[in-house]
Amino acid sequence: MAEVIPNLADRWPAAPDWASARIEGAGFTVRSVAGLRQLLVSGDFDAWNRASGLMGQGVGALALAKGAAWQVRVARDRLLAVSSKPFSVEPGWHGEGFAVTRMDAALHVFEVEGEGVGSVIARATTLDPETASPSAAMLFAGVNAIAYRHGARNRLRVHVDCGLAAYLWEWFGQLPNGVAR
Amino acid sequence: MQLFPCPFCGPRDEAEFHYGGEAGNLRPDGREVPAGRWADYLHMRANPKGATREIWVHVTCGEFFAMERDTVTHKVAGSVSLGEAEQQP
Repeated sequence: MAEVIPNLADRWPAAPDWASARIEGAGFTVRSVAGLRQLLVSGDFDAWNRASGLMGQGVGALALAKGAAWQVRVARDRLLAVSSKPFSVEPGWHGEGFAVTRMDAALHVFEVEGEGVGSVIARATTLDPETASPSAAMLFAGVNAIAYRHGARNRLRVHVDCGLAAYLWEWFGQLPNGVAR
Repeated sequence: MQLFPCPFCGPRDEAEFHYGGEAGNLRPDGREVPAGRWADYLHMRANPKGATREIWVHVTCGEFFAMERDTVTHKVAGSVSLGEAEQQP
């Protein structure tokens, strides 16, 4: 008698159509953000800023980033530059003292918006919301992620490895009154 | 839950950290290292009851650091980045 091999793919939910997927919960909405350019920059931030035209050393954990191009600090010598438009600096090693790695296809971006953002943060992290931390890299819902606010205090952006996007989507859907649409 | 102080990020949940071993356990170098020295490096630990100095890594930001803590009370006395620790006398 032939052995029936279970379909292991059934154990995990299928990823939704990210372009239209929404989760609406108690005071918050989650959606996927597509089309962002993401560069991981390591090394001399001053040299990077001169080459890229950006400023600063990136916002930290749950801090507020603004504008069409912004930077998020993820380590002592590393930041994630994000923009809705292409960067002028090519990936690779730059003799001025920094290295650039394209992360567009590596990190999936979610946006959580609404008055309930604070409760989502409280469930996902162990960070003290009143204490600043210079790095936005953290455990978020149990997985490594980069989390900060963008444009408004009630708008959270979460960058996570693409392979974990479906898991994190399911986690968002388990929040109070969370309903995927 | 314990909070550990990453020298760069500040206090974070212990789940964000990995233990790297007792500080000062340097890898032997050279061909003439006796077996006993290798055994000490690989297997023998001081495992003190009380104050200890250990190497940890904050996984989310990649910071390697030395942390002084008490294995009985779990109280953390402080932490210093390995780059900064090497510069201390």
